[in-house]
Amino acid sequence: MKTARKPLKVRYSYLARQFASIDPILADIKKLVASGDFTLGAPVRRFEESFAKLIGAKHAVGVGSGTDALFLSLKALGVGPGDEVITAANTFVATAGAIETAGARVVFVDCDDKFVIDPSKIEDAVTKKTKALLPVHWGGQPWDMDAVLSIAKKKGLPVVEDACQSIGAAVGARKAGSVGAAAGFSLHPLKNLNVWGDGGIITTNDAKTAESLRLLRNHGMSSRDEYAFYAYNSRLDSLQAVVGNHLIKDFEWITQTRIDNAKRIEGALKGIKQLWFPPRAKNERHVYHLYQFLAEDRDGLLKHLQALGVDAKVHYPVPLHLQPASRRLGYKAGDFPVAEAQARRTITLPVHQHLTDEEIEHMIGCVKDFYGA
Amino acid sequence: MGRRVPYVDFSAQYARERRGLLKALDRTLARGEHILGGEVAAFEKAFARLCGVKHAIGVANGTDALILVLRALGVGPGDEVITAPNSFVASAAAVALCGASPRFADVGTDQLLDAQALKRAITAKTKAVIPVHLTGKVCDMDAIDRVAKTKGLIVIEDAAQAVGARYKGRKAGSLGRAACFSFHPLKNLNAAGDAGAVVTDDAALAEKLRLLRNHGLKSRNEVAFWGYNSRLDNLQAAVLNARLPGLPKVMAARRRNAGLYRAGLAGLEDVLEVPRDAKGAVDAYHLFVIQCDRRDELQRSLKKEGISTAVHYPTPLHLQPAARLLGFKKGDFPEAERQSARILSLPIHQHLTRAQLEHVIAAIRRFYRR
Repeated sequence: MKTARKPLKVRYSYLARQFASIDPILADIKKLVASGDFTLGAPVRRFEESFAKLIGAKHAVGVGSGTDALFLSLKALGVGPGDEVITAANTFVATAGAIETAGARVVFVDCDDKFVIDPSKIEDAVTKKTKALLPVHWGGQPWDMDAVLSIAKKKGLPVVEDACQSIGAAVGARKAGSVGAAAGFSLHPLKNLNVWGDGGIITTNDAKTAESLRLLRNHGMSSRDEYAFYAYNSRLDSLQAVVGNHLIKDFEWITQTRIDNAKRIEGALKGIKQLWFPPRAKNERHVYHLYQFLAEDRDGLLKHLQALGVDAKVHYPVPLHLQPASRRLGYKAGDFPVAEAQARRTITLPVHQHLTDEEIEHMIGCVKDFYGA
Repeated sequence: MGRRVPYVDFSAQYARERRGLLKALDRTLARGEHILGGEVAAFEKAFARLCGVKHAIGVANGTDALILVLRALGVGPGDEVITAPNSFVASAAAVALCGASPRFADVGTDQLLDAQALKRAITAKTKAVIPVHLTGKVCDMDAIDRVAKTKGLIVIEDAAQAVGARYKGRKAGSLGRAACFSFHPLKNLNAAGDAGAVVTDDAALAEKLRLLRNHGLKSRNEVAFWGYNSRLDNLQAAVLNARLPGLPKVMAARRRNAGLYRAGLAGLEDVLEVPRDAKGAVDAYHLFVIQCDRRDELQRSLKKEGISTAVHYPTPLHLQPAARLLGFKKGDFPEAERQSARILSLPIHQHLTRAQLEHVIAAIRRFYRR
């Protein structure tokens, strides 16, 4: 474990590198600033069209953030006080936050060995109050579409896909964001397809849902002077859409590079017996927003990596049902054993598209050193 | 004919600010810092100082500023909140979206919430009042405070249009429990997209708002309560930081324009009223709203002469489809209704030239044959 390896900074955030060649984007931003087309302007419409095409959905609606994308989707489906919405216990806080701030109650279900909701546990969580399912395509890994969609159909429940971390993920030909009643995506700066601040987008195949989302995000304004219903201000900024329009051109390269990086790291670490990797199904496209696996002595490995300059992270050390925010929901340790076990052992390595060969080899070397492999 | 007077002029603003703006963007992008970064913190500090309060919390937009404050103060189902019926929809929507019931009280001839009307609108369920500093003119906060105090109501200023305005020497934003601001591209202090802030002297409220806007995250791994994602973008904060020092100049130019309008339109008092600062007030003139006879005809006539105007707003909030379930009817707020047929917002922005202003004045005088 003792090592002479020299530290090398491997950043989790690649933004400084992404910004190394931004002149074409800045040129378009200058045009925008001079035109004043800031609010739901032409760049937003263009981005929505490209994004819908990318996902294979009929409509896309740009909103303020991924959180709002989920929140507004739930609102559009009429979710509110008295309702329950089912999601995974191992997700980012925003998934549960969207449900709870919409006035409904979040109901957690355990995840499986791929870090996504375990379909075999969904039915037991359905009650008379269940209004929707909100399964999370976690970290780039799509959930089991056949299983989840068939349960939803059987129970007559709409599915809102939390695809915030999974732009481009797919099961066979079906992309995340194309199979539910609506799907929320995040364009947060650290996402695979990112903008330079908060941004989000919703996809749906239903024209009515799209129309109601367009009102929900913009004060319910059916025209400048008429408000159809009380609604929110949650718009994707034109300025951020300009950035999105540029980066979406590189989307296939970004995705493929992340996949290649993940495969390379995993190929090199696979034999280490103190590590455990999720099963990788052939027909599923994991887009590696997060490159995550389980490790023995996770905290030791984390410290070791950080000491050698690697921005390794944990997504997340405490599952949502054990957070102070869940106090009133009545959960306790032991309720979701898979999520809880993963929380103790999961670790995330940088996998982004701007990693260099040297950085990847450094990470691999550090992990190997730690386990004496 | 022939001279165009746009209602807003972003290209003129950009031409003047180009260097400073690009420098700010460049600095921010080079740091690669986009979420609640240094620019946001610097702006919050500077903006709190501008308002004369202890805390400012940057949020995604002015609407969210209202929603988050109401949530943070525990306003919810069963509560009523009173605001002005002639405001932008967000003032009422924020209340409804928290699960509370928006109620209205009529305005005075100055378009601002009337303290006596407020008093009459209070019920056992009233929890808060949101006076709206419409057009950039601060409400009579002493009178409103007196009413609010006797009934134990929380006062939240809707200062979305009133950055920099003053009331009896005190600043908009420092006159209630909290105040909500918008930095929408059309505002006097504007971002290049949606942006807003809440200001308050109350440290506990500020702390709660900081959590509410960021998922309730106390630290990366601890969720104190379920919250929202409503953050002022670091990039937009950089734009605001670049523009903040110029705000006094913007306000001075708008106030100068208002003065020129008042002088130029003198003698037309029988057909139109022009806005004036109340005693001890310094209005921000986000809008310059005249109240005039034959409003629609005048607007069309000005349009023919190349002059863009706007109406803020033609239908009062209690008569909107969104208010359907609240049980209001025509005649409930006669002053707001009367004004809605007479108000017209003239171009007032800081980039207007003297010739453009004179063109507007001459066109109005021609319309009324004076």
